[in-house]
Amino acid sequence: MSAQPEMSVAVNAVLSVNNLSKSFGGLRATNDVTFDVAPHQVTAMIGPNGAGKTTVFNLITNLLSKDRGQVLFLGRDLAGLSAVKIADMGLIRTFQSARVFPGMTAIENVMVGCHRLALHSGASQTLWLSSARSEERRMLRRAEEMLELVGLAPFKDTHATELPMGAQKLLEVVRALMAQPKLLCLDEPAAGLNDTETQELASLLRAIRTLGIPVLIVEHNMSLVMNVADQVVVIDSGAIIAKGTPAEIQGNKQVIEAYLGRENHAAS
Amino acid sequence: MLEFLQICIGGLVVGSTYAVIALGFSLVYRVTGAINLSQGGFAIIAAMIGYTLGVAWGWPLWVAIPSAVAVTVGIGMALGAFTFVPALDRLSNANVLMLTAGILTMIEGFTLVVWGSQPYAMPPFSGEAPLVFGPLRVPTQAFWVIGATGVCIAALWLLIAKTKLGTGLRACAENPGAASLMGIDVPRMTLLSFGLATLIAAIAGVTVAPTTSLQFDTGRLFTISGFVAAAIGGIASFPGAVIGGLFLGLVTQLATAYISSLFSTAISLLILLAVLIWRPSGFVQARVGKRQDTRDEAKATGHVARLPSNLAWPAAALAVAAALLIPFVVTDNGILSGLVIAGILFMTLMGLDVLMGYAGQVSLGQAGFMAIGGYTSGYLSINTETAPWLAILAGIFVSLACGLVLSVVTLRLRGLYLALATLAFGLLVDSCAVGFLDITGGPSGLVGIPAFSVAGIEFATPRAMYYVVLALDLVIFIGLTGALRSSFGRALKAIRSDQMAAAALGINTVRYKLAAFMISVTLASLAGSMYAFFFNFLSPEMVGTGRSLELVAMLIIGGESTLLGGLFGASLLTLLPTMFQPLAIYKTFASGALLVASFLYLPQGLYGAVVQIAIRLSRPKTNTEAKTAAKTSARVL
Ligand SMILES: Nc1ncnc2c1ncn2[C@@H]1O[C@H](COP(=O)(O)OP(=O)(O)OP(=O)(O)O)[C@@H](O)[C@H]1O
Ligand SMILES: [Mg+2]
Repeated sequence: MSAQPEMSVAVNAVLSVNNLSKSFGGLRATNDVTFDVAPHQVTAMIGPNGAGKTTVFNLITNLLSKDRGQVLFLGRDLAGLSAVKIADMGLIRTFQSARVFPGMTAIENVMVGCHRLALHSGASQTLWLSSARSEERRMLRRAEEMLELVGLAPFKDTHATELPMGAQKLLEVVRALMAQPKLLCLDEPAAGLNDTETQELASLLRAIRTLGIPVLIVEHNMSLVMNVADQVVVIDSGAIIAKGTPAEIQGNKQVIEAYLGRENHAAS
Repeated sequence: MLEFLQICIGGLVVGSTYAVIALGFSLVYRVTGAINLSQGGFAIIAAMIGYTLGVAWGWPLWVAIPSAVAVTVGIGMALGAFTFVPALDRLSNANVLMLTAGILTMIEGFTLVVWGSQPYAMPPFSGEAPLVFGPLRVPTQAFWVIGATGVCIAALWLLIAKTKLGTGLRACAENPGAASLMGIDVPRMTLLSFGLATLIAAIAGVTVAPTTSLQFDTGRLFTISGFVAAAIGGIASFPGAVIGGLFLGLVTQLATAYISSLFSTAISLLILLAVLIWRPSGFVQARVGKRQDTRDEAKATGHVARLPSNLAWPAAALAVAAALLIPFVVTDNGILSGLVIAGILFMTLMGLDVLMGYAGQVSLGQAGFMAIGGYTSGYLSINTETAPWLAILAGIFVSLACGLVLSVVTLRLRGLYLALATLAFGLLVDSCAVGFLDITGGPSGLVGIPAFSVAGIEFATPRAMYYVVLALDLVIFIGLTGALRSSFGRALKAIRSDQMAAAALGINTVRYKLAAFMISVTLASLAGSMYAFFFNFLSPEMVGTGRSLELVAMLIIGGESTLLGGLFGASLLTLLPTMFQPLAIYKTFASGALLVASFLYLPQGLYGAVVQIAIRLSRPKTNTEAKTAAKTSARVL
C-alpha cells in the first residue's frame, strides 16, 4: 500500500526516468537525469553533440547498465530486464545510425517489426496451418499499408541496403511502428534526411501522435523539434538544463548559451 | 622418470611444430582479422615436395629442403594473391575462414592427385643415430625441429619489432583503415602476412616430416592442432601461440603414453572446449586492443535471387514430377545410389542452411551429429532389433542431448570462436567414433546394419530407398519453407545481420539461434541414420571432419540461404565422381576449388545462377508488362 502514491505518478506518465546516472571512467555521461514522457505526447530530447542523449536511450533500454536511478515504463521498473523483454513490453527504439537488416527487402524489414505481435510459433508455420498463413497475410497487408503511408511502396521489393539513406531511416521508423509500440523512442531519425524526406518524417510523426502513440525523440533538427514536440527536454554534458514546451525552450537563456557556447568554442 | 623425460622431449618436438603453425595463425589473424586454415596444407606440400626432390630425385637434402620451402612459398603467395586477398574485401570473417578451409581441401586434393594416398617417410636430416645423453636418447631431428622453431620465432619477432615492414604489419593489425590512409599498402601487407605464414608452415612441415609419416590428409591434422594451439594460447598473441603449441604437444604426447592414443585428440579437444568456456580469448591476452571485426557486420549478407512466384510453382511441379520419374529412366544402380546419397546429404544441408545461411551461425562440425545419429541407430538396430524408425528417433534424441550441451558453449561465441568450437566438437565425435570400439566398431566401422524398413516392409534397393529419401526431403523442404517464409525465417535473418537491432524489436536471439541449431541437429542426425541404413555400414570417415567440410562446400557451391541450394551442391559433388569414375581422384581437389571459386565468383551459388538464368529466359514474356508498368508509373509521377 505504501507504493500507492508512487504508482499514481507512474500511471500518469508512460515513461518516467528518475535520477539516472552513468559514468564512463571519469566522464559523467549521464548525471541525475529525471524526466517523464506523458501519454499521447511527443517528447523531444535535444542537446549538443556528445551531450549524452544516446546514452540515456541505452540506459532506458538496458543496453548499458546504469550506475544509479530508476526507469519506470507503464508503472513497471525496468531494472534487470533484457532488451528483448523491454521490447516485448512495447517500448520500441531505433538507433542513431540506420540499422535496417541487410539481405532483406524493404517489406521484409518492415515485417520483422511485427515480430512481437505474431501469435503463431515456428512450428505452426512449419505445418502451414491456415491460421498461421492468414496471420502472415494480414501482416503483409499491414506492412504494405505502412510503406504506402511513407511513400516507399514502389520500393517494397528493393533490398533495404540499396535504398538511399533517408529512405532507410524512414524504413526503420516504419519498422518500429509495425511493432505497435506503447512508447516509440527515436534516436535522430532526421539525420541524413533531405528537406522533403524531413517533411515526410514530420507528417509521419504527427500521424503517430494522432494515433495516440507516445514518442520520445532525440533530434538535432530544431525546426522539426519545434514543429512536432509537445514537451522538450534539454541535456548538456549529461545533465538536464531545461524542460518545457517548445515556446518556453526557444526563449530559454541557458539553452541558447549551451548551444551558442559550443559554437563559439568550436569557432575559436 | 626416464620414460617421462623421453615423452616430454617427444612432446616438445610435436609441440614446436604446432607452435610454428599457431604462430602463422596468429600472424595472419593479427594483420587481417581472419583465420587462415590452409597452413597445415602448406606444411604437407612442402614436406611432399621435399620428399620428391630429396628422396625420389636424389638431390642432396641441403638443396632439396630449401627448394621445397621456396616452391611452397611460391604456390602459397600465388594462391593467397588470387583467393585470400580478394576475399578479404568481399567476405565476412566467418566466410573467409571457410574459404581457407576450401584452400586446405584444394591442397589436400592436389596432394592426393600428385602423391596418391599412400604414406611417405622422409629420412632425418642428420642420419638415424640419436644423440645420447647418459640414459637419454634424443633423435637428431628433434634438434632440427626445435631449432627451426626457435629461429622462426626469433626471425618473426625481429621482423615485426625492428623493421619498417614490421611497422606496416603492425599498423594493419591495429587499424587497417588508418594504415591505408597513412599510405600503407594494406593488400600487400595482407599478402605478405599470408606468405610469411606459408613460409613458416613450410619450414615446420619439412623439419617435422622425418619424425612422422606423411599422407595427403596429414595437413588437416597440422591445421587443426595449430588452430587449437593458437586458440588455447590466445590467438591474438605470439607468445600465446608458442605457449599453446608447446602445451598442446606435451599434453597429447603424455595422454597418448599414459592413457590411450585413441583418446589423446579427445583430451586436447576437451581442453580447448574448456578454454573456450572459461577464457574465450585464450591463456595469454593480447596487449593490442581486441580487433573490431566490423567487416562481419558489413558483409554478413548478400542478396538472394528468388524465383518470382509465377515461375516458382510450375518449376516446383516440374521438379517433383521429374524426381518421381527418375528411377524409371535411370537404371544404373551406381547413379541411383549417388542420387540417394545426395538426397540424404540434402537433409543435413537443409538443416545446415537454416543454421548457417539463415541464422548466420558457422558450423564446421555438422557431420558429428550425423555420426551420433548414425551410430546410435545402427547400434540399436544391430544389438536390440529396434525398429528403424524408433532407432532414428533414439538417434535424434541422443543428438539433441549432445547438441544442448554443445550449445552451452556455442551460444556465447561468435565468428571464429564459434567455428573453432564446432570444429572441435566434430573432431571430438570423430575420435570417439574411433575410440569406442565396442559401440562403433572403431576405425574399421560398424557392420551389419539392417536395411531401412517400415512395418516389415524393407527398402533395400537403391530404387526403394530413393523414394523414401525423396519423400523425407519433400516433407522437410515444404515444412521448412513454411517456417522460413514466415516470421520465423525473418527473425533468423534479422539475427544474422544485426543481433542488437533484432533484440530491440523483441526477437529473442538466444531462443531463435537455439531453435535453428536444434533443427540442424535433428536433420543431421536423421541423415546420419538414413546413411547408415542405406550403406548397412558406418565408419568414422564417412561422417568425419572431412565430411563436415564437404557439407559446407556443398552448401556454399549450391547457394546459401536458399534452402534448395544444398541439393545442387550435394548432387554436383556426389554425382560427378560417380558418373566419371576415372575422375573420382580429383573429387577432393574439385570440391575445394569449387568452394573457393563459389565464394569469390558465385556468391549466390549454383542455385542463384540458375534462378537468374530462369528469370532472364522468362523475361520476353514479362518485358512488355514491365514496359507498361514503367509507362504508368511515369505518368503518375
Ligand atoms: N560505451 C561508451 N564508452 C565510453 N564513453 C562513451 C560510451 N558511449 C558514449 N560515451 C561518451 O559519452 C558521451 C555522451 O555520448 P552520447 O552518444 O550519449 O552523446 P549524444 O548526445 O547522443 O551525441 P550525438 O548528438 O553526437 O549523438 C560522449 O562523450 C561519448 O564519448
Ligand atoms: Mg547520439
